[in-house]
Amino acid sequence: MTKKKTIRLILWIFLIGLIAAFGSIYYVFNMPRRNVSVENAVYSLQAKQLISDFRNDEMIATKKYLDQAIAVTGEIKSIRTLDNHSMVFSLEDAMVGVSCTVDSADVVKYNTKLSQVKPGASLTFKGRCSGMLMDIQVINCVPE
Amino acid sequence: MNKFILLAFFSCLFFTAGAQALFITKDAKINFNSSTPVEDIVAESNQATTVLDIEKNVLKFSVLTTSFKFRRALMEEHFNENYMESPKFPKASFNGKIVSAVDWKSEKPASVDVQGTLTMHGTSSEVTFKATITPGKSKITASAELKVTPEAFNIPIPSAVRDKIAKEVTIKIDAVYAPYQQ
Repeated sequence: MTKKKTIRLILWIFLIGLIAAFGSIYYVFNMPRRNVSVENAVYSLQAKQLISDFRNDEMIATKKYLDQAIAVTGEIKSIRTLDNHSMVFSLEDAMVGVSCTVDSADVVKYNTKLSQVKPGASLTFKGRCSGMLMDIQVINCVPE
Repeated sequence: MNKFILLAFFSCLFFTAGAQALFITKDAKINFNSSTPVEDIVAESNQATTVLDIEKNVLKFSVLTTSFKFRRALMEEHFNENYMESPKFPKASFNGKIVSAVDWKSEKPASVDVQGTLTMHGTSSEVTFKATITPGKSKITASAELKVTPEAFNIPIPSAVRDKIAKEVTIKIDAVYAPYQQ
């Protein structure tokens, strides 16, 4: 291999490396938001069970469920629409049950299903568990 | 059961206050803003729980740190994993008192001073801030703004990103309280 060819090869490798590096940085910087709706639920359980797990030992339950995709089923006790147009469905208890928040974009996407939901109905929501305050909060929910 | 759980959450209030003195919301808005010439970082949560006891002028806030939404998913990841360490410290809370006199029967906005303990990232720090409260029979609205430094809460900022994160982060709170129904 001539000296000229070697330099050209090095330049090509350098250029490809540079493009790959910028591409990776661009992807990481603009990486898509996590979409729980396409994930398989790690835990599928009744809202009563989730409430019981958190009430029994909040630390252990937080360790187990925090940030996990969960499918939780329960009786709807209250429905609220927030200022940002997301909706909160409280399961089993309006104050201290499981609060499932559906983001505004998903409220539009699942409007047909959600508009028919009334308190007293039983429904399953899949979302990301964000922990417990008074209620157990499940965010980025979609109805199943 | 409900009373027991609420009591556990707001113990100091339920031991001292009649339910008619309690106002509550689970949808308070907390927004924080870190603005530097390099980058503006803004995040918001609509899921803070807060209780106001108008007999004792006691105020309590609590929010899950993973409920904050950022413009970019990467910022959210860094916030929860590197700075707030959300798996270890999933909540931020405030326990305090309105130290100015408030006429709860008036329905006019009043500027008040609030003092208390802000806990996040497992570290507590005393804070004082101004709030605007508008009393009402069926609802009470409140808004407040305070500034905090990451250092006060033992949140390490790597030197590589020090210029991107403001020395003082502004936290804004907006809440619309409803009477607590037993």
